[in-house]
Amino acid sequence: MGRQGLWQEGEGGSMSQPTERPVVLSLNKATIQFGGLIAVNEVTFDLYKGDLFGLIGPNGAGKTTCFNLITGVYKPTSGSIKFNGKEVSGLSPAKIATLGICRTFQNIRLFPALSVLENVVVGSYLRHKVPLAFAFAYLPPAIKETKALRDEAMHLLEVMELADMADARSADLPYGKQRRLEIARAIATQPDLLLLDEPAAGMNPQEKEDLLTTVRRIRNEFGKTVLLIEHDMRFVMGLCERIVVLDHGEEIANGPPEAIRNNPKVIEAYLGEAV
Amino acid sequence: MRIVSILLACGFAFGLDTVVSQQFQSLYRLVVLAGLYITLAVSLNLINGITGQFSIGHAAFYMVGAYSAGFISKTFYAGQVSPQVWMVGMAILGALFAAIAGFIVGLPSLRLRGDYLAIVTLGFGEILRIVTQNIEPIGGAYGMNVKPFGSPPQTLWLAWILAVLCIAVCRNLLKTAHGLPFLAVREDEVASSAMGVNTSSTKVTAFIVGSAFAGGAGAILAHAESFISPDMFKMDVSFIILTMVVLGGTGSITGSVLAAVALFAIPEWLRNLQDPVTKVPIQIPGPALVASILAVVMTVALLKLAQDRYHGERVKKIGLLLGAIFAGSVAQMVLNLALSQIPSLAAKSFEAAALRMVIFAATLIILMLLRPQGMMAQHEFSWAWVARVFGKKEKVAA
Amino acid sequence: MAGLDFSILPQQLVNGLLLGSIYALIALGYTMVYGVLRLINFAHGEVFMLGSYAALFTSWALGFSPESVKGIDKASSPMNLIIMLVVSMVVCGLIGVVIEQLAYRPMRNQARIASLITAIGVSLFIQYAGGLFLPQSPPPAISEQINPFRNEKVTFTIKPAPKEAVDKANVAMAKARESDVLYEKAKLDGRPAAQLETMRQANQEAQNEASSLQTQVSSQTSGIVIPFGQLGMLLTTVFLMLLLWFVVQKTKTGRAMRAVAHDFDSAALMGINVGRVVTVTFMIGSALAGAGAMMYATVLRTPLTPFLGVAPGVKAFVAAVLGGIGNIPGAVFGGVLMGVVETLVVWLDGLIPGLGGYKDAVAFVVLIAVLLFRPGGLLGSSKVEKV
Repeated sequence: MGRQGLWQEGEGGSMSQPTERPVVLSLNKATIQFGGLIAVNEVTFDLYKGDLFGLIGPNGAGKTTCFNLITGVYKPTSGSIKFNGKEVSGLSPAKIATLGICRTFQNIRLFPALSVLENVVVGSYLRHKVPLAFAFAYLPPAIKETKALRDEAMHLLEVMELADMADARSADLPYGKQRRLEIARAIATQPDLLLLDEPAAGMNPQEKEDLLTTVRRIRNEFGKTVLLIEHDMRFVMGLCERIVVLDHGEEIANGPPEAIRNNPKVIEAYLGEAV
Repeated sequence: MRIVSILLACGFAFGLDTVVSQQFQSLYRLVVLAGLYITLAVSLNLINGITGQFSIGHAAFYMVGAYSAGFISKTFYAGQVSPQVWMVGMAILGALFAAIAGFIVGLPSLRLRGDYLAIVTLGFGEILRIVTQNIEPIGGAYGMNVKPFGSPPQTLWLAWILAVLCIAVCRNLLKTAHGLPFLAVREDEVASSAMGVNTSSTKVTAFIVGSAFAGGAGAILAHAESFISPDMFKMDVSFIILTMVVLGGTGSITGSVLAAVALFAIPEWLRNLQDPVTKVPIQIPGPALVASILAVVMTVALLKLAQDRYHGERVKKIGLLLGAIFAGSVAQMVLNLALSQIPSLAAKSFEAAALRMVIFAATLIILMLLRPQGMMAQHEFSWAWVARVFGKKEKVAA
Repeated sequence: MAGLDFSILPQQLVNGLLLGSIYALIALGYTMVYGVLRLINFAHGEVFMLGSYAALFTSWALGFSPESVKGIDKASSPMNLIIMLVVSMVVCGLIGVVIEQLAYRPMRNQARIASLITAIGVSLFIQYAGGLFLPQSPPPAISEQINPFRNEKVTFTIKPAPKEAVDKANVAMAKARESDVLYEKAKLDGRPAAQLETMRQANQEAQNEASSLQTQVSSQTSGIVIPFGQLGMLLTTVFLMLLLWFVVQKTKTGRAMRAVAHDFDSAALMGINVGRVVTVTFMIGSALAGAGAMMYATVLRTPLTPFLGVAPGVKAFVAAVLGGIGNIPGAVFGGVLMGVVETLVVWLDGLIPGLGGYKDAVAFVVLIAVLLFRPGGLLGSSKVEKV
């Protein structure tokens, strides 16, 4: 894919000041408590449109839990989560997806028996218009929309370089491609905000490089805002323009990579793992 | 192509009715039932195989359709329209009532998973059946006569048209993008909702549509049999329909159709097994029966061993499988001789008809052991497939 | 409340407890097998049925077949009951193992629904094969005479009848005895016919009076009568459950069973022979059903048919789910609950006539109600899927 013109369509990244761009996601003292354990403790940060934002921290810091809060899997015990100005805490995951937030999963959750193409069409189906009854009766509007959704999905597969495996069972794909497919499926829902949960896990350095370029491209060409969780420091530092660090559910740092890299609290949390 | 297929199928339904009623009168009832079972199996497949909801109380919807249509027919029919038209109306009515039941049963599916949902669906069925047993105005435990027309109506065409409709609706769903949310819910509910699929409405829709078709079938049953009772809708019926779905290959519409016909036909065929010459019901001596059972067990064990353990050439594998069958036959003969020495066993003999349920159950077990993914696994019949097969043959010929 | 006889309520509760303990024994088998294999063993009810027949045949072998006891009052000993119990348990245990080896083990790696269909197939097969070979018309029952305690009962009086009623009855009974003696004496003395007739009528009245007052007393007495046999049943059940608890909690095999139930694959990786654990689980679960079967056939003297196992099987399964499937104390709790509820529904028939016909449905209603509020069963865990 290679590095292309960085600022083609989407609005600029860290080149322009954050305050000039609208706030897409806003967490304000978001907290969730499971019994006696406070998994996420008053986490507060803002995401601006077009951000490439990283969420990092040692294992068990509450990163995926944050994702689950944002996407509606959990309801926060206190605090608020606003998406494009609208309060979304407490809404169902499906509703939040229709509003424009989509995610991938730490342990890939594809639809195993479905083909690669079908997986992506499930994503594009989110924006379907024709009612279900038309499908039962196989009326022309349903047939047309099906074709349109399939074409859309196919195009996306071509962009993500998965088109040659379109009819293969998604479970049969090699690991790296499965991750790409999951991302493609999420993009197919046409989200404003894309949440990637450890997209580089289990990849070799070359695959990670490709992924890095892909994610940048997603932001640049599709205009998406991206929030990602990662463990690989080099990946995060190389990709993200701003980073929030969690430890034991609490926010311990928030800023650009250079600031995070040298932050003593962060170093301490990782016990000397800083790059 | 699709319209042509459907028109052909409808023509087939009418043709079948004419042919059977004229040439094979004795088989009429069986063909009607076969058609009803196809509808039942395909509609259950929509809930279980396509949407992945573990529902094992399908007979309940069958019953709701039968009783609602039967009662209304019995009470209100007074020659307003011709029997044919009336029955179509009753089928729709039965479907509507069953859909309501389906909605109610579908609601727990929003909170319960897997085996828990299964037992709840089973429970609904049993509750409905026992409640019906206790309601006198609709016949209670004794059942209800449904004879609004005086003489038994022609139901075969309607039963098979319903089957065609059911197959068409399910197929249409799967051919469009709208079918994907159902499959997605089956594959992974969490991921589906993360992609914006409304899992609740998907599940409930599956239940409603599946139950509606079962209800329509029930309505037709009531008129075809002229008599319904709660005993006709026991758990066993739900299990048989479920078996049809699984044996055909969960998720495969074609499989459900084939398995429904096959599983329905086997016991019926056995019921009428007679010596072609003397027309006397075939008797099987006790020792032969026990020997056969033991021999079959041995053969299946050997077949499974060959199937699972041998991974070599295809020809050798077939040889091994045949060898297993041969060994089994030999074992049967040896055991038969041995067991004939036991006087109390040698004196007993069984009519083939009485054995039909045992053979049915045994066939079930054997088929599951040897081909658990079902006849068609996840594949479907399609004209495209036919074209591929013939296309290949043409290539070879050229 | 019109129609409800509260004085028999304690007795009904105890009856429910006894019925429930049989359900509990069967439910344990379901729950244990589900725990290790995640399989609903539909054939379990049939194992129960075969256990009942095993008890029947054992009783015949011990000399209590229908021909042997015709007209005679045969003496029996507790040893007979113990032999029958052991035979039933062993036979069921073996059958359970055979089913597991032949029908379930090969399906281990297949889709769960395939195993389920196989289980249904095995269940149907045993029912109908039994229908071919087992005595069933008329449905045979175990002879009453094999129970050496059949005429002995334990009585607990909770609330005796009011003193005046008891006194009145006692007085009437004394008078009746007296009048009886006088009447007999008069007959022997050869009194005139007319006089005898008057005396006979007076005596008859006295007897009737005494008998009706006695009935009144007993209907006003709140008490529990437990035949020895049923008491023995209850004690045996408790004993078996304690034994099971001991095995599951304190022995190595039990620990292995719990490990496999928790996580099949990890247990195998830890070096546990999961195949053996599964077999042992089937064996124990089936043996418990066998114990329940023996008691069902002997103490409750149920007439046996090959389809005997269907209803108790379903109810016990519901009980297991009610308590939280896979949860051993839950199965016991669920079984007892089911037995008590079923008996209470029949008792409530006094208040709402016809309710008794719904007793089988009530089981499911209770189940659905419980599952809607506690999707994991009463004592089960609703495991939350980690996303």
